[in-house]
Amino acid sequence: MKSVDVTIDGQIYVAKEGTLLIDLLIKHDLKVPYFCYHEALGADGNCRMCMVEIEGQKRPQIACDTLIKEGMNIHTKGEMIDSVHLDVLELELINHPVDCPVCDQAGECKLQDYYMEYGLHDSYISKDEKVKHQKHIDLGSNVILDQERCVLCARCTRFTSDITKTHELGIIGRGDHARVSTMPNRKLSNPYAMNVIDLCPVGAMTSRDFRFKQRVWFLTSTPSICQGCARGCSIYIDHNRPKNQDEKIYRFRPRRCDDVNGHFICDVGRLSYKGLQEGRLRVAYLKEQESDIDRAIESYREIVDSSKGSTILLLADANLYLEELERIVEYAQSIGASVATPIKSYIDEEFGDEWLRSSMRASNAKAIEKLGITTELPKGDISLLISFNHPDADRIRADRVISLQTHLDIVDRYDVTLPLATYVESSGTLINIDGIEQYSPKVITPNDPIPTVVEWIDRVEGGAI
Amino acid sequence: MSPDIVDKIEELKSKYPSPRALVLPSLWMIQYEDGYISLDAIDEISELIDTPPMEIYRVATFYTMFNLEPVGRYHIQICKTLSCSLRGKSEVLKRVAEMLDIGVGETTSDGKYTLSQVECLGSCGTAPVMQINDIYHENLTPEKAEEIVDSLEKESI
Amino acid sequence: MRECRIVSKRFDTPNSHTLKVAKELGAYSAIDIAFGMTPVEIIEIIKESGLRGKGGGGAPAGAKWELMPQDQKRPSYLVVNCDESEPGTFKDRQIISKDPHLLIEGIIITCYAIRAKDAYIYVRGEYYQFQKILQDAIDEAYEAGILGSGVDITIHRGAGAYICGEKSALLESLEGKRGHPRLKPKQKEPEWYFGNPTLVNNVETIASVPYIIEHGASGYREFGTPKSPGTLLFAMSGHVERAGVYEAEFGTPMMEYIDHYGGGILGGKKLKAVIPGGASTAILTADEVKLATLDYEHMRSIGSALGTGGMIVMDEDTDMVEALKNLLEFYHHESCGQCTPCREGTGWSDTILDRVLSGRGSSKDIDKLLDLANIMDGKTICVFAPAVAIVIRSFIGKFRSEFEAKVAK
Repeated sequence: MKSVDVTIDGQIYVAKEGTLLIDLLIKHDLKVPYFCYHEALGADGNCRMCMVEIEGQKRPQIACDTLIKEGMNIHTKGEMIDSVHLDVLELELINHPVDCPVCDQAGECKLQDYYMEYGLHDSYISKDEKVKHQKHIDLGSNVILDQERCVLCARCTRFTSDITKTHELGIIGRGDHARVSTMPNRKLSNPYAMNVIDLCPVGAMTSRDFRFKQRVWFLTSTPSICQGCARGCSIYIDHNRPKNQDEKIYRFRPRRCDDVNGHFICDVGRLSYKGLQEGRLRVAYLKEQESDIDRAIESYREIVDSSKGSTILLLADANLYLEELERIVEYAQSIGASVATPIKSYIDEEFGDEWLRSSMRASNAKAIEKLGITTELPKGDISLLISFNHPDADRIRADRVISLQTHLDIVDRYDVTLPLATYVESSGTLINIDGIEQYSPKVITPNDPIPTVVEWIDRVEGGAI
Repeated sequence: MSPDIVDKIEELKSKYPSPRALVLPSLWMIQYEDGYISLDAIDEISELIDTPPMEIYRVATFYTMFNLEPVGRYHIQICKTLSCSLRGKSEVLKRVAEMLDIGVGETTSDGKYTLSQVECLGSCGTAPVMQINDIYHENLTPEKAEEIVDSLEKESI
Repeated sequence: MRECRIVSKRFDTPNSHTLKVAKELGAYSAIDIAFGMTPVEIIEIIKESGLRGKGGGGAPAGAKWELMPQDQKRPSYLVVNCDESEPGTFKDRQIISKDPHLLIEGIIITCYAIRAKDAYIYVRGEYYQFQKILQDAIDEAYEAGILGSGVDITIHRGAGAYICGEKSALLESLEGKRGHPRLKPKQKEPEWYFGNPTLVNNVETIASVPYIIEHGASGYREFGTPKSPGTLLFAMSGHVERAGVYEAEFGTPMMEYIDHYGGGILGGKKLKAVIPGGASTAILTADEVKLATLDYEHMRSIGSALGTGGMIVMDEDTDMVEALKNLLEFYHHESCGQCTPCREGTGWSDTILDRVLSGRGSSKDIDKLLDLANIMDGKTICVFAPAVAIVIRSFIGKFRSEFEAKVAK
């Protein structure tokens, strides 16, 4: 495909001949309104919003169906095309319910955005005359459908027919009684179902999990990496700190990454934010007794000192960051311990699929491999086991066990239990199943911060309390 | 689904480049057999013609002649478009509705008659026209329409 | 005005739909002539004859045939459009019920010319009783060996959707999907059926082919006008004495046609308006009708279209606002719903006219209707919405006073 020059609003751009005009407009951040086009789903040509004026063509053309040709002269702004945008937008809004005050999409809604950009007109219609459909239909899989808000862009239906190929959703009926639906009494049920929520440009598809929880303009979006499995899909973490409360995460959203997950994430990963906040360990324990941190560290040092010379094994969780794993290896060397990451507990063959879900549920198994940490439990008796959040900690026989863990699970049989920061409260490098290295920043700073692996090791080694 | 239909569908497969084309013919066969199109029937067709049930369901809801709910034994469809309207459709509709004591879109309590209005039947030269099941009744007057419905009553006894 | 019997030659003969009677009256005599020529030669003759598509568009048929590939990389198909749902149009049903063998003959010749082995006849679902006659004729032709060794014909029944008369929507329906029109290609290419090159033609277009093969392009051109050669099965309905289908040559003066074949206005009343070519054409006032000739060029020059030639005649007592409402309801019901301007615009224009008719309207509403017409025009996937725009504009443009009267307080 040869590169050609085209003119858009008076400026020259280089593009590959035969590619879609709308891709060029999006690439260069040139404002063009659209609902039905999506890079992952292709063009459908039904919303008619992306119209542009092309010199030499009598009528405006939709950019999603226009191929780049040498010398094309395109206008995305101007009296004529502005009025076209307003006209089509007016018709999109004509049957749209006045739901903004109760709609979760407010603040990230394309109709709102386009109205402010291209509309700002008065409604011609009284709400009694609008076409009525069903609202708040529970489709299953945490998705709620509001048929009235729908602009029939067919993104959600194309997702279930072309991407997941599960065909739960379709547009039924005809004319202005056309609506998105499942077959009667059937549910949306595939492992990627909740992606339709992000695909939907308006508030027709919303998340039951997020429903009425927070207004999006109060949220901060931080890029991160999901740690539900070894795929390492890119996500946005939406969080804030409500007044007089601790910082909290409201939801994960997919973040585009062409090398790993494209535009989508799986539902399990999407909802895994809950696990980061529920059932957290926030205090130290000595056996079944709650303890203050200083006493716990004292006890920790005593146990390590008295174990020097005998078999000390450090268990490293395969979800820890590369830098944290490196620190554990270094620490092991300094106290004469060995490191292992028994890997079997992380494998779930049922979970893995042909798309994003990997049967390796540990996010950093590749880093374990890279650092040469053994994935088998070494044979022989163990005097001291120090587990850094490894899932097998409670199943391995040792004379004494110290556990650093994020969650509240079994504590009373460990000699020392220390609370550990989750991956959103820490930062570092992940290596995914295909060997791609990705950096995950710190997202959450709790009111009472909990130490990370590196901070704990520095502290127990440091002498000072 | 009767084995006849299954056979017919298999036979038709050789006439089209893809079994997917058999959606409409299959739905028609189901409707003639059951009187309407049920979800179970759609699931059965789906297996036979290798097409997801939702794709068949969407088609069934698009076309006006497919009934997704049972209709009366005699489906009286009166054309309401311009030519029939200009030649007295309203009076014919009124008479039929009065006779059967139902409104448009309703079915008589004995399940015998459903009354609908439909768009242009392609019989404008002999307007006003109504279609009862598969047959057109043309050049109607209120009296003629009454006669026709009467004869249906007698037939069904 | 002379009688023309290009496609309606056998219509009035009893049992003309049977093979026996049809053959006695000359059916299938053009087949041998056609097989004596090459496919390319046949396409040339069709082009020379000036045959224009009779489904409402009037595009030159030969040019469409030429787009079909003559190499056989993929199988080619012929699809005959008998979805005939345009209000005021009821001509194709005459062919399939009164002279189905003429259509079969036309199909065989056309398939030969475009090198297709399979033809589908898409018949609208409501025409079942006529479809049966057509199917019987096809069965007869198979039995007699006329079909089966070169061409196979399958009838595909529609199920009640006007939009399936649009050729790309028809193909979607024939593929087993909803009748959603397709986005139009930027360059000239054939239609596609499951990815195979396909020719879609109206019933009457194909039924005209045997005559052209038998009498040559010049034989066809003896009728009609230079730019609109041949004949059309024009029709009349509404307020005429003898509504029906009567074949006539292009160029026939409209008023003469209505008087001669139609017997003038019903009950001797005065003519008020005629919609000339099926509902989707601009309505004509009585004055315009009196000056009009039934050909594509004249209709175009006065801002209307010949369409399917189905004239809907309205007398002096017709309420034009009610008439427009009737048509807007039709379009509202029949919009496929795929693209925004049409889906919402057809619903809205119907609702606004409701306001006007129920006395809740104002002059602003009439202007809004014209506004909607503009929004629906030129921005949609197919020509359904532009047709609605034409209807709204012509009705309000030519009969505005009646609309104003409804909103005057």
